[in-house]
Amino acid sequence: MRSRYGFIAALTTVLLFILLEALSIVMMVNNGAVQRFKVVGAIRHVEAGIWDKTRQVRNYFNLHTENERLNAENLQLRQELARYTAAAAALDSNRITVTPDFTYIRAAVIRNSVDAQHNYLILDQGADAGVERGMGVVTDRGVVGIVSAVSRHYAYVISLLSTGQSVSAKLSASGAFGPLHWTGTSPDRLLLQEIPVHIQAAPGDTVVTSGYSTIYPPDIPVGSVVETRINQGSSQDLTIRLFEDFRTLHYVYIVRNNNGPEIQELHEQAD
Amino acid sequence: MNKLTDILFFVLVFLLQVIITDYLHLGPYVYLCLIPFLVLCIPLSRRPQAVLLAAFGMGLMLDLLSDGVAGLNAGAAVAAAASRRILYRTLVNRDRQDQTEVPVPAVVGLPKYLKYAAAVTAVYMVVYVLFDCISFRPAGFILLKIVASTAISTALGLLLVLSLQNRR
Repeated sequence: MRSRYGFIAALTTVLLFILLEALSIVMMVNNGAVQRFKVVGAIRHVEAGIWDKTRQVRNYFNLHTENERLNAENLQLRQELARYTAAAAALDSNRITVTPDFTYIRAAVIRNSVDAQHNYLILDQGADAGVERGMGVVTDRGVVGIVSAVSRHYAYVISLLSTGQSVSAKLSASGAFGPLHWTGTSPDRLLLQEIPVHIQAAPGDTVVTSGYSTIYPPDIPVGSVVETRINQGSSQDLTIRLFEDFRTLHYVYIVRNNNGPEIQELHEQAD
Repeated sequence: MNKLTDILFFVLVFLLQVIITDYLHLGPYVYLCLIPFLVLCIPLSRRPQAVLLAAFGMGLMLDLLSDGVAGLNAGAAVAAAASRRILYRTLVNRDRQDQTEVPVPAVVGLPKYLKYAAAVTAVYMVVYVLFDCISFRPAGFILLKIVASTAISTALGLLLVLSLQNRR
């Protein structure tokens, strides 16, 4: 009982001490300009720190929305770029109609595999969005694959990381081109083959899409040369490190070649 | 010392302090203050809450009478009052026996009293100078002001206590 009384008395003393000191500080803040400046300044400093932290937290939770917005903006810019590119080409060739060669459909990756020998992706856009079988899938950092099957709302894409898949690519500096395909080992290493021996390729050289297929637009950066190897004395095989990390793919663009049907028809006539 | 003398001592020292604060300026490095000695004169048997309130009242009164910043001396006096019992036990009466009502040099000895008075004055000055100068003055200035103010205030306070003690 006595110790409890002692504890309560001590607690009261401490609380009274804090109260009186706080009262002193409040009086100082209200009466002294310098003290007011100091204390208010300190409070503002703490407030600013808290505001900054809450802003960071808010930004973190807004990242998804922000990503969506940036993606939509990217798509719009890409479409505009395609339109302007087509317009410039038309000016050069005195064409009258101006339609872009490629248009893009934005899609989110909802499933992705990189560990198998035949990898695939599933995208959240399908026939309703205008996706068709045979369309290419790209990002701003490389080629992703080809649409293989389409439902109303989804598309199944055969990943470039599938043995047997290849894309026509060229060395950016020399323009020498060849088939680029996956060797089935590392998900960030591909092989660019059939590069003539006289072409000088050095580690670090950029590889881009050639544009010789009807599937992918030209000049999309794909990767850089890691090493070169002469293949049976007749051509070079270049190991390429991809710019795109397939393990972190979130958003892609499905590419429609507006001239594709016409080119295909031409092929069929020739055959 | 009877009650009337006590009250007279309190009033005289307090008025002296008001005069010192208003008219005696010893430069930026020294703040002469006798309030810690008034706090020391409150009997140790008084309840701590009452001592805190009394110290706060004295400090606030000084702030108001000397046209200072209200709360400056009040906050420092409260800190001095809160620390005096601990300092007394640490520096004067370690075995906690023969506790004196009001420690004076004649009873506890001059060296012990000096240490005790200097420590309480130092607590007062630390709070006062920090409230007054922190973030606006360099650390060296603050430290020097605390040391100088403590030394001079303790010396003057001790002189006052000794002279009054001899008269009693």
